[in-house]
Amino acid sequence: MRAMGLTRDAIQRRRAFVGLTADDLTEIAAAKSAVQSTVDQHVDAFFGYLANIPEARGVMQNREALGLARQLKRQHLLAMVEGDYGEGYVEQRLKLAQLYSQVGLELAVFLGAFNQLLHSLEGVAGNHFPSLCKVAFFDIGLICDVLIYERERVIRIQSEAIRELSTPVLQIRERLLLLPIIGVVDTHRAHQIMQNLLAAVRAKRAKVVVMDVTGVATIDSKVANHLLQTVAAARLMGAEVIVTGISAEVAQSLVALGIDLGKVTAIGDLQGGLEDAERLLEED
Amino acid sequence: MPVPILKQGDTLIASIVAALSDDDLLQFRDDLAQKIGTVRARGVVVDVTALDVLDSFATRTLRGIALTAKLRGAETVIVGIQPEVAYTLVQLGLTFDGISTALDLEEGLALLAAKKQARK
Repeated sequence: MRAMGLTRDAIQRRRAFVGLTADDLTEIAAAKSAVQSTVDQHVDAFFGYLANIPEARGVMQNREALGLARQLKRQHLLAMVEGDYGEGYVEQRLKLAQLYSQVGLELAVFLGAFNQLLHSLEGVAGNHFPSLCKVAFFDIGLICDVLIYERERVIRIQSEAIRELSTPVLQIRERLLLLPIIGVVDTHRAHQIMQNLLAAVRAKRAKVVVMDVTGVATIDSKVANHLLQTVAAARLMGAEVIVTGISAEVAQSLVALGIDLGKVTAIGDLQGGLEDAERLLEED
Repeated sequence: MPVPILKQGDTLIASIVAALSDDDLLQFRDDLAQKIGTVRARGVVVDVTALDVLDSFATRTLRGIALTAKLRGAETVIVGIQPEVAYTLVQLGLTFDGISTALDLEEGLALLAAKKQARK
């Protein structure tokens, strides 16, 4: 709840978004007993709809989750007519939404089922339904946010994993490191590459680092600048950096961009770079 | 706090163990220039392992120290620059151009020995 920024004020704002006022609370109170006595019917409307949707199989076939979801939905409906839509209520909504996200319930399917639930509620709430509807939209807002937040969280975790996988620092032999760079280098990744490399230079007591950029299709001025900085930083720590695998196109574009790589030792291919590195190490 | 300067053969070893004020740095510079002459040192190792920050003044002064030492006939190696410090220095565009750097004290001494060998 905190991670999503749902403070007391934010919840208050959300109530204001759907236009929930004191008048609505009286309306809802009037519908309370009618909803309470028919609560199971509404729960059935929601889950009955899901049962017929192939995309909702994940929820319907997971007995444990389904039981919990029904129980939480029942709680939801009862809380919906209680008239208190504060932090406790929001907490309950998030819990149910997280369950939906875990079982992979799609947003569109959920909205379909929720629509059925509203139809069912309309039948018993009658004139009081519009007020109840505001609460329902307040709930939908929360649930959508959780589903989106969870999805974004997965993406964040994955991209983090890819980043970590994509910048290995390999030890070829005593005091010689290889840093193969593959794919697109953006500012964030360049930063990460530099930090990984500097930490490895320290840990492995490296004297020479071969940075292979064969797998980098394009190098723009920003990336070139980052590479230059990496070379300079490694040198400050006493390690020489040899850059290998700058393709003809990349070399031409670097020259065209007017980037001065004069201070960088560049060797055509990885083999040549490693040979040169060995020579440097032998000199000591 | 003054920086202790130790003599080891014809090499001076100065280990900066805590963050230095600007005055301390200048004092260190003067001491070192003086001492190179008195002990006829041919090499200087400045160890900055303990520093987790190097500002532009410190960088410039260290550079000045190395250039001064050179004029006095001693080669300077700056050793022990931490990864974070190295990163910050290049971000700020501060580099020890033309000055040797090495991973740690051991490497620094080895570098000086290699240079001495080359002179012979």
